[in-house]
Amino acid sequence: MKKVLVYVEDGYAQESLSLLEAVRQLYPDQHVETYALLINSDASAIDGVCDVLLTLEDGTLQPFDQKGLCDVFTSVHTRYSFDAILFLATPMGRCIAPSVSMRLETGLVADVTAIANDDGQISLIRPAYSGKIMAGIRIKGEGPVMMSIRIGVFTYQGTDTVQSTNIGLEGLDYRHGNIKVMGTKEKKIPYDIRESDVLISGGAGCSDMESLQDLADLLGGHVSASRAVVDKGIVPRAIQVGQSGKTVSPSLYIALGIHGALQHVEGLKDIPHIISVNTNKDAPICSISDIVVEGDALPFVAKLIRRIKEGQQR
Amino acid sequence: MRIVCVVKFVPDVDNFTYNYETHTIEREHSPMLINPDDARALGFALTMKKREPQTCIEVVTMAPRSVIPQLEDILRLGFDSATLISDQLFAGSDTYVTSKLLSSVIRKIPYDCILSGTHAIDGDTSHVPSQIAQSLDLDHLNFIHHIEEERFTCSSAVVEVEGESSYTTFEIALPALLSLTRESAYRLPYVRYKNLNLDVSERLHILTNEQLGFDPAEVGLSGSRTQVVSTHTKEHMTRRKKVVKSDDEGIEVIYTFLKSNGFI
Repeated sequence: MKKVLVYVEDGYAQESLSLLEAVRQLYPDQHVETYALLINSDASAIDGVCDVLLTLEDGTLQPFDQKGLCDVFTSVHTRYSFDAILFLATPMGRCIAPSVSMRLETGLVADVTAIANDDGQISLIRPAYSGKIMAGIRIKGEGPVMMSIRIGVFTYQGTDTVQSTNIGLEGLDYRHGNIKVMGTKEKKIPYDIRESDVLISGGAGCSDMESLQDLADLLGGHVSASRAVVDKGIVPRAIQVGQSGKTVSPSLYIALGIHGALQHVEGLKDIPHIISVNTNKDAPICSISDIVVEGDALPFVAKLIRRIKEGQQR
Repeated sequence: MRIVCVVKFVPDVDNFTYNYETHTIEREHSPMLINPDDARALGFALTMKKREPQTCIEVVTMAPRSVIPQLEDILRLGFDSATLISDQLFAGSDTYVTSKLLSSVIRKIPYDCILSGTHAIDGDTSHVPSQIAQSLDLDHLNFIHHIEEERFTCSSAVVEVEGESSYTTFEIALPALLSLTRESAYRLPYVRYKNLNLDVSERLHILTNEQLGFDPAEVGLSGSRTQVVSTHTKEHMTRRKKVVKSDDEGIEVIYTFLKSNGFI
C-alpha cells in the first residue's frame, strides 16, 4: 500500500482535486491511502474524496511562512512517512515544496504534465527550456517522490466517495517565521482566463492588444496573451497562456500572431475549436488549428468584427 | 548594509544547444545571459547602494567560466565583488545539489539580506531560492514585485508579493532571502563608457571543488536527487487544418465556422 500526501491550500480545495488524478496515475495498480493536509483551510471540497483529512488550525501561522510551513510538513511526514507528496504550483506551493524537499533531502519535480509508471519506475514528465523540450524525470533515492502540478493540468475523474477520517494535528513541532502580513489588495484583472469559454489571444505578431477587446466582447469571451507579449510588459501575467502562465480550457481559442512555442501549445491540444491567424501558415500553432488564416492579425480582427456586426444587423 | 545577490546565467531559450545523450544543456556552447528575474535583484541592490553608498554587494553565481566577461561587466556597474562557483564536477547538478553548493559558499559571507530572482527562464522550477533559504534556515518570500526602499534596513524589509489574484504586503525580518520577479521595476544600467575596460579581476573570485571540498559523489549528476531519463520534443496532435486568406472569402469561412459552432 502507498501513502500519499496532498497539500490542500486555503482557497484551492476544488483545484486540489486534480492532485488526486495525478496520484491515480502515479500508482495505477496499487492500493493508495490518500492524506490531505489542510492548514487553516476549508475541507468541504475534499471531504469524501481523501481517506484522511489532517487538519491544523493555527491563526498565527501566516500564509507564505516558508519556515513555519516547512516545519509542519516535515513533522507530518515524520509522523506518517509518505511515499509521495504533491503540491499545486500556486505561488505558495512553489515556495514551500522546494524547502520541504531540501529538508527531506529528496528530489522534487516542478510543473509535472504527465506521469508514467513503468513496472514501478516512475517518470515525471515536465516541459523544460521554455517548453522547447519535454523531459522525463526520475527521483532517485528513497523518496518521498515530490512534485508540483499547475492548476488545470490534470482533471479529476474519480466518482467514488470514501468515508474520510478527520484527524486534528496535535503536538506538531514547528516554529513561526519572522514574517507578518500587513495587508492585501485584489488584482485589477476582472476575469480568470481559466474560466473563459472563448479566448482571443494575442502574440508577438499582434501589435495592439487593446483592439482585441471588441472581438472578445462580440464573442462573449476574454482577451489572453502569449509569453512574448507579457514579457514586454504590455499585458499582465495574469492573462498569459502557457507553461509560465495559465493552462486554459475554452471552447474556442483564436490565436492572433502567436507563433506557438511548445510551452504555449502544450495546454491547447484539447480545446475543441482553434483558429489561428499568422503570416506564416506553417507556424507550430497552425498545426493544431482547425482553420488557419494566412495574414496579419489586426486587419483580420477589424474585418471579422465588421462581418459579425453586419450579421447582427440583418 | 551587506547584500548577497544570487544570480543565474541562463541560455537564451530561443537559441541554445542541448545534448540529447547526457540530457543536459551545453552551457559552454550556448550564449548565456543574466536571468531576467535575477537582473531585477541586481538592479534593486544597485538602487540601494546608490542611496546608501556604504552598502556592500557581493554577487554569487554557479556557472561555466564562459560567463566571466558578463560577471566582469556586472562588477563594472559598481558591485563590490563576485564569486563564480565553477567546476566540471558540478555540471548537470539538479536544483538540490545547486542549492547545496550555493548555500555552502553564501554561508561563509556576512550578509543582512540575500536577493535573487523568482523564476529562471530555462528550468523554470523556482526551486533554488527556496532551497537556499531552507539550507541557511532563513525566512523567504518569492514573487516580490516591489520592495519599499525607505523601509529596507538591516533588520527588516517591507515587500509586496504577487499572488494568483491579489497582492500581499509583508514585513519580513532580516536576514532573509527575497526573490523578485521581472515585473519589478529595478533595471540594470549599461556599463559607463569610462568603465568599459576597467580592470575588475581583483574583485572576481573563482571557486572550484578544490576550495569547496565536496565528495564528487555528492555533486553533479551523481549527487542529484533527480535524473532526467528521457527528453523529446513533443509531437502534437495535428488537425485537418484549412488554410484561408484574410480576404472576404476567408472572413466568410471564419464567420460561418463561428456561427455553425454556436459562438455567434
